[in-house]
Amino acid sequence: MSNTIIQMRDIIKRYYIGKPNELQILNGISLDVHEGEFLSIVGASGSGKSTLMNIIGALDRPTLGSYSLKGRDIGKLNDTELSNIRNAEIGFVFQTFNLVARTNALKNVELPMLYAGKSRKERTQRAKELLKLVEMEDRATHQPNELSGGQKQRVAIARAMANNPSIILADEPTGALDTKTGRMVMDIFHKLHKEEGKTIILITHSPELASETERIVTISDGSIISDTGVKA
Amino acid sequence: MGFLENVRLALTALRANKMRAFLTMLGIIIGISSVITITTIGNSIRKTLSNTFNMFGMNSFYAYLTVKDDLTEEEYESFDWSYTDEDLISADMVQELLDTYPGQFKVSLTSTSDKVEIENSIDQTINGYLYGVTDGAEDELKLDMVDGRFINWRDHREQKHTVVVSDIFVNQYFINDENPIGKTIELSLTKNGITQNFTIVGVYEYDETKLGRFDPGTKEIEKETPFFIPYGTSQKLTGQTEQSYEELYILWNTDMGMESAEKNLTEFFENQYTTNKYWQIELGNQQELLDIIDMVINVVTIAISIIAAISLIVGGVGVMNIMLVSIVERTKEIGIRKALGAKNSSIRIQFVTEAIIICLIGGIIGILLGMGSGMLIGYIVKAIMSAPEMEEYVGIISISVEPSIPAILISIFFSMLIGVFFGYYPANKAAKMNPIDALRYD
Repeated sequence: MSNTIIQMRDIIKRYYIGKPNELQILNGISLDVHEGEFLSIVGASGSGKSTLMNIIGALDRPTLGSYSLKGRDIGKLNDTELSNIRNAEIGFVFQTFNLVARTNALKNVELPMLYAGKSRKERTQRAKELLKLVEMEDRATHQPNELSGGQKQRVAIARAMANNPSIILADEPTGALDTKTGRMVMDIFHKLHKEEGKTIILITHSPELASETERIVTISDGSIISDTGVKA
Repeated sequence: MGFLENVRLALTALRANKMRAFLTMLGIIIGISSVITITTIGNSIRKTLSNTFNMFGMNSFYAYLTVKDDLTEEEYESFDWSYTDEDLISADMVQELLDTYPGQFKVSLTSTSDKVEIENSIDQTINGYLYGVTDGAEDELKLDMVDGRFINWRDHREQKHTVVVSDIFVNQYFINDENPIGKTIELSLTKNGITQNFTIVGVYEYDETKLGRFDPGTKEIEKETPFFIPYGTSQKLTGQTEQSYEELYILWNTDMGMESAEKNLTEFFENQYTTNKYWQIELGNQQELLDIIDMVINVVTIAISIIAAISLIVGGVGVMNIMLVSIVERTKEIGIRKALGAKNSSIRIQFVTEAIIICLIGGIIGILLGMGSGMLIGYIVKAIMSAPEMEEYVGIISISVEPSIPAILISIFFSMLIGVFFGYYPANKAAKMNPIDALRYD
């Protein structure tokens, strides 16, 4: 068994704590993710998968329970430390691409490295390599509004890879794309998984897409209702 | 993330919305440019005055008659505010001053001018002006002697018929290049035809910047220059008998220094006026006057600048307003940046830098505009002063247009300060955004 990257124990997330409308979204989630896994978290909307993703991505802290990412207890970190975790360990890929407007593809890929304090030369070189990896090197100087959805998502994937994170966290990455370009994006994830050995967590509502991954975790009403475990 | 990265980021953001950036800057531009205009004008007035005063010479006092400041209330009420010749500064008193401090003081008395004419050996008429002066006039008018000496105190006391003429007159009158010193010339007063003989004791250089410019194209023979004769002599000629003075222009020898000159003069006049019940002599100095004017200009400049600076605050509020709008518009961008690992401080610095850049660019434009308008006003005044109608002032007023360097530096600093002050609140708001909410914002 390879190294455990994510270790979640009894994660509970509540909103509006102490108010009449207090809401519990996650009801004690325990989940281990190992290095090099390609897993999907599947659930209907409102199941709590987005909340879970926010916690995994260090955008939010659990209310109760422990979450350790590469041995660091995320629940105990302050905002700046969380920023550093997101910067170094997490690569986000969003449904709506979320490229920074008026900033060309190359600069978008450079952003995480900018916040990591890398030199200009290093950033540009790495960003070019990554754009090549997603076959977008000839669009490096294009603004986001000059790119198609599939192209934007490929740039976003390159950006997620920028600081060589431990986890790629993809939230419905094909949700805004047609079948063909969606396929292309999925192929890139497979390529990253196989060739680069990346740990990839795919959040989706589509069982079809999930079936492409090695392990499917199904979540409903804030609890894990099934986990296929790592396929042999 | 480096400083330059932030500046680049800010410039990119401003370029994306040029019109808005410019309108935001406008408040700062107007504020800074009015402060700079006002300080440039203030500075120029000060420079001009100090140049003008320097031309008159600073090593002089006005001694003038004034009421004693230690009068009792009774004396004050019974006092009829009149004075007689006895109270005035008498010619004897002046003579005593000069005798007490030999070579230390010069007194300048100047009579009004009279038109005179003279014919040279080839029957050409030369016109000029006759001035009665004492030795102090040489310094007062800053004359440069090219030959001989100036009128001295003895010439004045003894009402001698000596004269100091201009180098121009020498050329007009002495056609054969003779040495003018010691020669006697016959001057006749134009108004009554009285003719008197004067012996030339000195020749001064006619400097147009000090004594007035001739109209362009004036023939050499038509140039009218002053003849300086002793004050006493001019009084005798015009039938005046004034031998006492309400006020007196006293120059001190520069070796003495202002303080001891003032001390000596004060002591001298105190002794002279101890027996006088109501009147005394006070000394005024141009430096003191200049200091007072300087102070007034400063106060006025600062006061108006503060009023102008209020518009800077208005401009700053405008910057803050736009930053707040911009941050709401760019919520998504802030969310993305945070997801990619931007710390709160990175976001804060990004937006504060943007506000500073707006203010700084506005400030620099404002400074250039302010300097431009300040100097434009200065040059207009200069142009007016150099018009032919203003000829008589050319010699006494030297206009200097200079922007105030401290004001420029303070303005740059101040505009950045406004950027920090009014940019911090919106930037902090951006920095504290919850990344999840920000990402979800549409």
